[in-house]
Amino acid sequence: MLLELNNIFKWVNSGNRRIFLLKDINIQVEEGEFISIMGPSGSGKTTLLNVIGMLDNFDEGEYNFLEEPIQSLKEKHRINLYKKYIGFVFQAYHLMDELTVYENIEMPLLFKKYSSSERKALVGDMLDRFNIVGKKDLFPTQLSGGQQQLVGIARALISSPKLILADEPTGNLNSKQGEEIMELFKQLNEEGVTIIQVTHSEKNAAYGSRTINLLDGRMIKD
Amino acid sequence: MFRNYLKIAWRNLVKNKLSTLINVLGLSIGISACMVILVFTKYESDFDSYHQRSDDIYRVVQHTEYPEETLYWNTTAYPLAEALRNDFPEIDIVTQTAGPASREFSVKNEQGEVTLYEEPYVLFADGYYLETFDAEWLAGDRNTALDNYGSVVLTEYLAKKYFGNDISNYGSVLGKTIMLNSKDPLVVSGVVKNPPGNANQRYNMLVPYEFFKENNPFFTSNWSGNYQGTTFVVLKNEKLKEKLESAIAGWKKKYLKPEDDRRISYFLQPLKEIHTETLYGSIPGGYTMPAGVLRTASLVALFILIIAIVNFVNLITAQSTSRSKEVGIRKVLGGSRFNLIFQFVLENIILISLTLGLSVLMSYFLINELNGFLSIINLKLHFGWEQIGLVLLIGGLTVLLAAIYPALVLSSFKPIPALKNMVVFKKTNGLTLRKSLIVFQFVIVQLFVIASIVVATQMNYFRNQEIGFSSDAVVTTSAPEFNKLEVYRNALLQDKDILKVSFGSGPPMGVNGYSLGTSFRTPEQTVEEGKSAEMKIGDINYLDFYDLELIAGRNFISNKNRFDEFIVNEKLLKAYNWTPQEAIGKRLAINEGEATIVGVVKDFNNHSLQYEITPCIILNWNAYQNNAFIKIADGSSRTLASVEKTWNGIFKNSVYNYEFLDDSMEKEYLVERLIFNGFTILSILAISIGCLGLLGLMSFITLRKTKEIGIRKVLGAGLLDNVTFFSKEFIFLVAIAFIIAVPLVYYAMNMWLQGFSYKVELSLWMFLSGGVITLMIALLSCSFQSVKASLADPVKSLRTE
Repeated sequence: MLLELNNIFKWVNSGNRRIFLLKDINIQVEEGEFISIMGPSGSGKTTLLNVIGMLDNFDEGEYNFLEEPIQSLKEKHRINLYKKYIGFVFQAYHLMDELTVYENIEMPLLFKKYSSSERKALVGDMLDRFNIVGKKDLFPTQLSGGQQQLVGIARALISSPKLILADEPTGNLNSKQGEEIMELFKQLNEEGVTIIQVTHSEKNAAYGSRTINLLDGRMIKD
Repeated sequence: MFRNYLKIAWRNLVKNKLSTLINVLGLSIGISACMVILVFTKYESDFDSYHQRSDDIYRVVQHTEYPEETLYWNTTAYPLAEALRNDFPEIDIVTQTAGPASREFSVKNEQGEVTLYEEPYVLFADGYYLETFDAEWLAGDRNTALDNYGSVVLTEYLAKKYFGNDISNYGSVLGKTIMLNSKDPLVVSGVVKNPPGNANQRYNMLVPYEFFKENNPFFTSNWSGNYQGTTFVVLKNEKLKEKLESAIAGWKKKYLKPEDDRRISYFLQPLKEIHTETLYGSIPGGYTMPAGVLRTASLVALFILIIAIVNFVNLITAQSTSRSKEVGIRKVLGGSRFNLIFQFVLENIILISLTLGLSVLMSYFLINELNGFLSIINLKLHFGWEQIGLVLLIGGLTVLLAAIYPALVLSSFKPIPALKNMVVFKKTNGLTLRKSLIVFQFVIVQLFVIASIVVATQMNYFRNQEIGFSSDAVVTTSAPEFNKLEVYRNALLQDKDILKVSFGSGPPMGVNGYSLGTSFRTPEQTVEEGKSAEMKIGDINYLDFYDLELIAGRNFISNKNRFDEFIVNEKLLKAYNWTPQEAIGKRLAINEGEATIVGVVKDFNNHSLQYEITPCIILNWNAYQNNAFIKIADGSSRTLASVEKTWNGIFKNSVYNYEFLDDSMEKEYLVERLIFNGFTILSILAISIGCLGLLGLMSFITLRKTKEIGIRKVLGAGLLDNVTFFSKEFIFLVAIAFIIAVPLVYYAMNMWLQGFSYKVELSLWMFLSGGVITLMIALLSCSFQSVKASLADPVKSLRTE
């Protein structure tokens, strides 16, 4: 079991009213799964993804990641955990504009203890794999959206995570670019990487092995 | 990893060229200005502190009490030193000096050619002087150099001037002879390094006091007079000072005449206070710098530094909020808080290092400029490691403030809101702080601007004030030989461009620190009832030459070896409530003798305009007519050359010097001009730092409000609406600053103006124009950015979000 959420609640207080963002979420994810989270705007998809990615806290419930109880871990420990096992892909790519393609991909390694030759080798592999060796010295603004998202995925993969969390990875792309990205996810999943994606599109959800539907913070069908 | 940080830091600085430039420039201007002011105040407050015993040295000063006023002298009667030395063995050292004074020297070179020099800084000093005051000896023996009657100690500067620039061994100068006034040989017995510029008694040459004494037997044995003699004492410790002062109070009757003993008292003034105490005035070749001015200057330096740092912190914090996305990415990718702090601090350290480098260069340059600019007060500011160290310290402080604070704020962002640019700042708090910082800056800017306006108005007033005599196109030269005056006059008048010539002790307004003092009374009054007056000697042309208006009586008929006639000013009549007509024919006694009043002139400014008109007596005396006044038709070089040629033909044994009277009078306002220049420079500095800050802040605000402007434009707002939208707030802040600044500057300028007898009234326009000028400049620097933002395509600005 890769991770497990039991009775997760998350809320914000507005005046004397409590607004639930997540309500009684229960999910088990095995290694190698490809899960799609779907639901209308404001249903809590991204919030759920951020909770899984440990970027956001929850107010009640249990979250075990590789047998570790996240709710009782210190922040530092939590950072180490997601640093090691989780990669993120964003709808808006979130590349650093000041860094080249090469440097963007290299960045996660800088926060871990890799020697510079190891980093070189790893980034080199990644550039090869995505066929973007020729673009390594360009800056993100010089790339198309699809190419930027490729770099975003390469960056997420560089530290060989067990889990990729993708928040509408094709949302800013045209349909052809979107298809290519989804194919790539599928391929990665076949290589053994667990993927959880948030998506609006049934077509993209079809790439996954399982779909979780949310409405108003509650799971309606598993 | 470090390289990556450096790379990002550098790319960020380059990417934001404008704000980097503003940051670096603003802070370095601030630091350099602060540096220069500090170097200046340190220099000014360290006068004479380089002597080993500077804490133990005291100058003897004299207070003379008259019925209506007390006169404060920094000089004392010449015999005082020797008497103190004989009667008070508890004093370590007593030394007597005379001067510094101007003398003429001739030096013969190896080819036998004689060159004539005029040396304005000749100090007569006894052997004790060398024990009291330190100098760096290049040749000769400190213990004996002034012991011989005919010896002379030269500074390096004079040694080179007299014996050639290429001296390598100063020992070779020892034993050479220079001639004083072409008749007295003086043998060089020592060469010292040029004393630092911040020494009170400026000298280029030391001549034994014995020599002065021998040649001036009357002055140097006279206890009643007060000429150019200064006495210094060295005490073992501070406690002795008061004991000695009270001992002297009881002792002085042994030497002073009874009436002098009642009037005169002596005090000991610590050496280190001489330069900053204005009570006793300055000594020839020197100037005093009021301690208040130094304190104000240091405060101003501090203010400028604070504005600059505040600006820097303000801008850095403002800019860093636009980097929340970067923080988000780094955190999501596993960057710890420490990584982020390190990144931001490093970036700012690079920025600050650039700034510090620039500041050191700028300060160095500015100090050199200032030394040249203020050469008139012999300024020799020095910029060394001590100052660089101070810059680094200031830099370190700035790093702490400007780098660490934003880094802490930034690194505390939660990754997800940061990525979405949704970080919520404590809005009200941050904004009021930022606003109050802007208000603070503009208070200071307006202080400086309004102060400059007031000082400029006062200076202008000085220039245009009616002074009661005509000073246009008057050239003064010396007239060293009395028996040749008529020859000189007639020779000068041969030139048709020379209109009038007169001789006297000095022009109607005392210039160059030179005036003759005396006291006056009626023959029936006692000496104690005498009042102080200024004495002028003028020939029969004097009144006509200067257009001094006679309101009663007549001019002199002739000058006499024994004066017998006075012309007095109206002010003097007030002492006896005489009308001008009543005064004619009255007898007056002055220190120099008795005579009859034959004329009364309308009051004229016999002192520069900081001071009141004082009673003035003009004598028909042949003595002291050592200045020639020449009225010329034009200031052409031909006329001046003609004067020089005539002069050289007649006074062969002296060095020719001339000065325009207007220039000499202008010099009396030296300190005021310095203050004016200082304020002008400070205003420009404060304005530029303040405006750079505004510019930077505006560029940040417009960036944040791009979307808002887009929406306003879509809804139909025009360019003017948008610019007003941005400027409104700043106008408000400048207005608040104005309200705070006005009472402060009113108080300060009112105090400053109190120091003048003739002064302008503070009026509303000075304050208003200061406020308007500041507002215009502030608006200009604001609108630069807001116009740019308002012109942007709204579709584009709305899409960027």
